[in-house]
Amino acid sequence: MPEVILKNLPFMLQGLATSLQISAMVALGGTLLGLIVAVILYSRVPVLSVVSRVYIEFIRGTPLLVVLFIAFFGLPALFGYQTTAYKATVVAFILFIGAYLAEDIRSGLMTVKPTLTQAALATGLTQGQALRFVVVPLAVRRIIPTLFNQYVRLFKFTSVASVIGVAEFTGNAMLVNAREFQPVTILAFVALTYLVICLILSGIGRWLYARLAVS
Amino acid sequence: MNYTLQFGPIWDNRALILDGFVTTILLSAAALVLAIVIGTLVGTAATAQARSLRVLSIAYVESMRNIPLLIHMYFWYNGLSFLKIPAFWCGVLGLALYSGAYVAEIVRSGIGSVPRGQRQAALASGLTNAQAMLFVVYPQALRAIIPSLASVFSQLIKDSSLASVIAVADITYQASAIEGQTFRTFEIYITVCLLYLALVTVVSQTLTILSGTRDGLARRVADA
Repeated sequence: MPEVILKNLPFMLQGLATSLQISAMVALGGTLLGLIVAVILYSRVPVLSVVSRVYIEFIRGTPLLVVLFIAFFGLPALFGYQTTAYKATVVAFILFIGAYLAEDIRSGLMTVKPTLTQAALATGLTQGQALRFVVVPLAVRRIIPTLFNQYVRLFKFTSVASVIGVAEFTGNAMLVNAREFQPVTILAFVALTYLVICLILSGIGRWLYARLAVS
Repeated sequence: MNYTLQFGPIWDNRALILDGFVTTILLSAAALVLAIVIGTLVGTAATAQARSLRVLSIAYVESMRNIPLLIHMYFWYNGLSFLKIPAFWCGVLGLALYSGAYVAEIVRSGIGSVPRGQRQAALASGLTNAQAMLFVVYPQALRAIIPSLASVFSQLIKDSSLASVIAVADITYQASAIEGQTFRTFEIYITVCLLYLALVTVVSQTLTILSGTRDGLARRVADA
């Protein structure tokens, strides 16, 4: 490995740890949000499903960077509260990826045959139980590859957090570059690291899908 | 919540916003054209007979789309700064190489959706390889992939906002500038949000309608 990378490795790895930490939190929060929104749309809950539609369409038509700016600059100004770049990033990314995950999970729910729900209801499960024990588990197992695509996307997106000053991988690497000025070497190292982690993530997705797949 | 919304300062800066909006459109359009060229070449290579071409194609797609777009932009802007490429074109190159990988995947699956017999029949009727692709396979593939292309295109438009980080004066960049002057933080970003939303909706709806009429046209021809 080039000397410039070795010398600054701990600092950059610290950034990478932050990136991974943000990704993990957002993946968890986003999936939960997506699941809730998807179930609202799937069950056609009166007012809430309209709100969910508007939320999804709004986020899907907006760049991540602008969502991030709104969470970091806009909302705190509007509601008069303090936030940190880190917190704003997590909030913005959860809101952002949640909309995409909601659409994916909803389309997964739609693939579960209505007869299965009817059978579940006939055996005495309530609507909620039928969703929780029959429809959702089946749907989620079917869309594992799509979910992991979103997680990969999300991990790549964490690089954008550096723009508002979060000390994650890209941000730290660019700081190192500002001191060392060896952009090609440093960017190549950063790109390669992202590449390897993304490939590992999609690999995990494929492995899980193969293990849990239902026909 | 003692913050009163004031859109007056935003309206006063409409010239800047419009300027940024035009830059965003130009940036996206240039990157789009380049991404389609790259995507068509790489996507076609993925369906080639030669193994080396297929491997190259997969390597391109996997490496380009698994590297964050921001890194692509930094690469052209900071990494190759000695080439002195203008920021705008750094943005175009970064966007096009990144989105080209997504387009390639779609083109590959589009070509795969055209029955093999179509190409064989075209070759048998005396067309050259290139002619068979151009006149028989691509037109049919195009119809199948328009919905996926629409979603990649709208993704590209939204992704173009990252060019603001390398100082391309697009709409996001202008928003930051206006925010710095007026402190109407929420208003400016919401305005920009709605403009992106409008642009993305127009582009994806146009493509959807286009594919609808084409499909309808094809069906009418088939029925006749």
